[in-house]
Amino acid sequence: MMPRQSRAALYTRRFAQNRPAVLSALLLLALAYASLASPLIAALMAQDPSVVDLYHRIAGPSLAHPLGTDELGRDLLLRLLAGGRISLAVGIMGALAAAVVGTAIGLIAGYRGGLVDAVLMRATDAVISLPLLPLLIVLAAVDLRKLGLPPELARSEMASLYRIVVLVALVGWTTVARIVRGATLSLETRDFVRAAVGLGATPVRVMLVHILPNLAAPIIVATALSVGNVILLESVLSFLGLGIAPPLASWGAMLSGAQETITIAPALAIYPGALIFLVVVACNLLGDGLQDALDPRTLTARKRA
Amino acid sequence: MSSHILRRLAESLVVVAAMSFVIYALIGLMPGDPIDLMLSADPHLTSADVARLKALMGIDQPLLRRYGAWAAAALSGDFGYSRLYVEPAVAALLDPLGRSALLMGVSFVTTLALALPLGILAARQPRSLADHAINLASFASISLPSFWIGLMLILVFAAGLGWLPAGGIADVGGGGFIDRLRHLILPVTTLTIVSFGAFARYMRSGLLEVMGQDFIRTARAKGASERRILLGHALRNAMGTVVTIVALSFGGLFSGALVTETLFAYPGMGKLIYDAILGNDFNLALAALLIATVMTLVSNLAADIAYAAIDPRIVYR
Amino acid sequence: MRRRARILIAALGVLLALAGPAGARNQLVIGVSQFPPSLNPLIDSTLAKSYVLGMARRPITAYDADWHLVCMLCVTLPSFENGLAERVQLGDGREGVRVTYTLQPGATWGDGVPVSTDDVLFTYEVGKNPSTGVSSAEGFRRILGIEAKDSKTFVVTQDRIDYQYQALADFELLPAHLERAAFADPRTYRFRTRYDTDPTNPGLYFGPYRITELVPGSRVVLERNPTWWGKKPAFERVVVSTVENTAALEANLLAGSIDMIAGEIGMISVDQALAFQRRHGDRFEVLTRPGLFYEHLAVNLDNPILTDLRVRQALLLGLDREAINKQMFGGKQPVADTIVHPLDWVHTDDVRHYPYEPEEARKLLSAAGWNPGSDGIRRNAKGERLSLDLATTSGNRTRELLEQIMQSQWRALGVEVHLRNQPARVLFGETVRKRAYDLALFGWVSAPENVPRSTLYSKEIPTAENGYTGQNSDGYRNPEMDHLIDTIEITLDRSKRADLWHRLQQVYAETLPDLPLFFRADSYVLPKWLKGVRPTGNLYTSTLWIEDWHDAGDQPR
Repeated sequence: MMPRQSRAALYTRRFAQNRPAVLSALLLLALAYASLASPLIAALMAQDPSVVDLYHRIAGPSLAHPLGTDELGRDLLLRLLAGGRISLAVGIMGALAAAVVGTAIGLIAGYRGGLVDAVLMRATDAVISLPLLPLLIVLAAVDLRKLGLPPELARSEMASLYRIVVLVALVGWTTVARIVRGATLSLETRDFVRAAVGLGATPVRVMLVHILPNLAAPIIVATALSVGNVILLESVLSFLGLGIAPPLASWGAMLSGAQETITIAPALAIYPGALIFLVVVACNLLGDGLQDALDPRTLTARKRA
Repeated sequence: MSSHILRRLAESLVVVAAMSFVIYALIGLMPGDPIDLMLSADPHLTSADVARLKALMGIDQPLLRRYGAWAAAALSGDFGYSRLYVEPAVAALLDPLGRSALLMGVSFVTTLALALPLGILAARQPRSLADHAINLASFASISLPSFWIGLMLILVFAAGLGWLPAGGIADVGGGGFIDRLRHLILPVTTLTIVSFGAFARYMRSGLLEVMGQDFIRTARAKGASERRILLGHALRNAMGTVVTIVALSFGGLFSGALVTETLFAYPGMGKLIYDAILGNDFNLALAALLIATVMTLVSNLAADIAYAAIDPRIVYR
Repeated sequence: MRRRARILIAALGVLLALAGPAGARNQLVIGVSQFPPSLNPLIDSTLAKSYVLGMARRPITAYDADWHLVCMLCVTLPSFENGLAERVQLGDGREGVRVTYTLQPGATWGDGVPVSTDDVLFTYEVGKNPSTGVSSAEGFRRILGIEAKDSKTFVVTQDRIDYQYQALADFELLPAHLERAAFADPRTYRFRTRYDTDPTNPGLYFGPYRITELVPGSRVVLERNPTWWGKKPAFERVVVSTVENTAALEANLLAGSIDMIAGEIGMISVDQALAFQRRHGDRFEVLTRPGLFYEHLAVNLDNPILTDLRVRQALLLGLDREAINKQMFGGKQPVADTIVHPLDWVHTDDVRHYPYEPEEARKLLSAAGWNPGSDGIRRNAKGERLSLDLATTSGNRTRELLEQIMQSQWRALGVEVHLRNQPARVLFGETVRKRAYDLALFGWVSAPENVPRSTLYSKEIPTAENGYTGQNSDGYRNPEMDHLIDTIEITLDRSKRADLWHRLQQVYAETLPDLPLFFRADSYVLPKWLKGVRPTGNLYTSTLWIEDWHDAGDQPR
């Protein structure tokens, strides 16, 4: 095994050689910063993106509004940045949640083996083989209060965001679970794991302390690759009116609204769609680059669209 | 091999049974029911009307009992009545099934016709300019939101230029071959754009994997041209990948393309499922979702078998 | 190379254009956004169904575009003056009314069987049977009995005399000769009705058109009905084509695959329609007419904040409804003062108005004990924030925009509003019914001179005890309002009734059970060549007068 530092340096060097991936990383960083800083930008522009201005609806680009205004006279640029916050948050939270669930299931299945493994893997197969979108629609329409959730939470403004993250975690864990299970199976037989078991470490400790850190690379790659897919999924659900609900606005939700005014104000539809596209492409290229950098044997992506 | 298939079949049956219950329960968890909706629309309904209508539709029963009754009837081939289409659920499914199969089938052919040559082209000279360009195009295809590209196509070709219809399956009074074809162009284009990338990448990686193997090196050593190696040896061996994709996509013919169908008002399975779920049409949604699930499972199974049949290196235990 | 490509594209365009539909005017294609779920006129009534059936059948009475009650299937509108209506004493001391109707002599089902009192009696039998699944049984419940005088004349005995005694509500005739077999077992009638099992049977229709083709979810084709008794309609075929997405609807219109968008169920907003007119005014005409669709904010009067009239008044004064109408709806959706539409003959302008006066609103809030806190949100003496939830139907674009405007304008007063949107089935099925809201944005559709009994009468408050029936979800209790509603219903004298109505509007505007917003306008997009379409603005669809629609090039026949 290589010393850690030189390994990190190698990864960095390899990643740096992949120009599309580096550009993607920069683009994503820039967008994330801009989204997070949108209140600051709003202050600089002397605009409040939540204040409606009925007398300046769907205005074209101007000095005050570089991209024009939306159908309620709010600054489009600031609205896009605010939407970006939600879209990126859903993408990252959803992918992380799915990674956590998938890692747990993969670890348990791989380490426990036997019946537990068989059941978990059959469940994975089953989830993969389901028609995803229709199921998500049903799940998105479920009344949270019928599930016994407190009405306060079910009706909170953030409910639509959490709901999507949960949905993604429910259906998106399978890829990570498979990767983690495979890696766990091979790690189990390695000396340092056997030594830990021999020294009397509990299974939980072995899994968390000895096995998990060695799975970091494949998990990171899989998660990075799924961020883009989650953003796409969110935009589709929002587009169908089942995703992010006002007062929150994601790019998908903005597109859904813009659909009706597309002939009057095509800009309202073009910008959010283009941003979704850019971000997803960037996530995919970044994931691809990470994969190449972290795993030199892989020449090909394992991603299924 | 056959025992493997049997086991997979048994597993699939369990999955279908479990799915039917999960779907039933989930639809039951959706807020309100048809009568609640009616009540809000009609001020004259009294509480006696509500109770009467609920009993008439069986909605007053507990969920488990309703599922039991439904499952028993379904096993004997009766999937109940569709509330929205007012005909037996299975009958309501037939036309949309055919239309989805047409839409998905045509898109699938155009997608392959675009993706396979691109994949081969990219694999011919890895890391060449063509490879990079195709790779980027593939990434773009994977990353495009289908509703957005659909909207843009509508904006340009239907609303802007007025060349093509923006939705539906045929013009009124039309319905001839040309007319139907015109209505297919935009949805098929949308589906092709968003799906060729994945296929091209499969093709490329399948070919590259084969190209690295011993028999290719042997062929090279024997002095075969690169072209012959690629198209003769490698392609034949990479066909396993293609056949798998074809088999896997088979299920899609029956679940339709929800987003594209909704956008283009194309009355296929995807749209039917969407309408049925949102319209609280239990029987129809269940029947449609089950068909989609069964077909997906069947196609996965077919993919497995096809893959094993083509690639002798795969042996099932 | 590039030039060749351009030529190729141009050639392709020409080809495609040639393959497109020719501009034949013997048919009319109407774009709608919803497909009717079932065609039986008694079961599961929806606007989409009424729209289609309006061409193929006729109700006995209807409100026309001038909001007068008129006979459609009957010959003369019965009244006490013409002797066709008379008071009767009912056994229990109440007073009822006997009303005589005569069916149009020429009315004939499409298969040649005359429309007769057999059909009337059969329809009554179906309507009052509790197990048929007829959605609205109220109209039938009021009827104590029907007797046939001859094959065309019948007498209806109603259990009360009210101002609506002339109308025969919800009484949609069924063809006894075709439907009786399906009705053999009333419990399965709604599955076996021939309107759904055999919808193109000509015998089911007696209007100017009959349905000849039905593609579920996609389109309904109607052709001239040879047995129609009235004026011959101008178009040989009418096609109602469902396009659910507004952008696609517009594109279809431009491409010529549909001719017009039906206002009733076209789902195109006023804003969109006006923008469309600006761009394509050379080919299309946009008709908007504020209809009997009362868009309002329902207020939960049991909410401790909203129970204070001053707060409700402040909210209304702090909302620039005039500007919203002008900027969002092109001035086509008039600001509502009360539930009564300005075009309704009982309307009065002599009520309290609430123009946009934010300063006045702030004063009222301060007077009610709500003073600005450090973050700009007002607080009362106990330190509670002036914070309200606002719910509306998610996915309704116009309402989602409206609520964001309200949120923004009220924020300027120091009122905090949280938006809690829900799918229509939750909002109406649960939230409004069970009164679990602070403010709810939705609309009521009504008929002219519709007495607000179900929405404002104190006994119509939905509670757990009454199974959440009644639509007074605000929880409005006002003895004077109760008395007015009771009296209006039984006052037959028009001028006395008008006075009572005026008082009702004044009480409404004084006490604000709801916050009135607008009367919604339906937008009809029509081709320039189409004449004779008259939006009614009420529950009765414009298709009930389709025989008046014609091509401008044609001479009216």
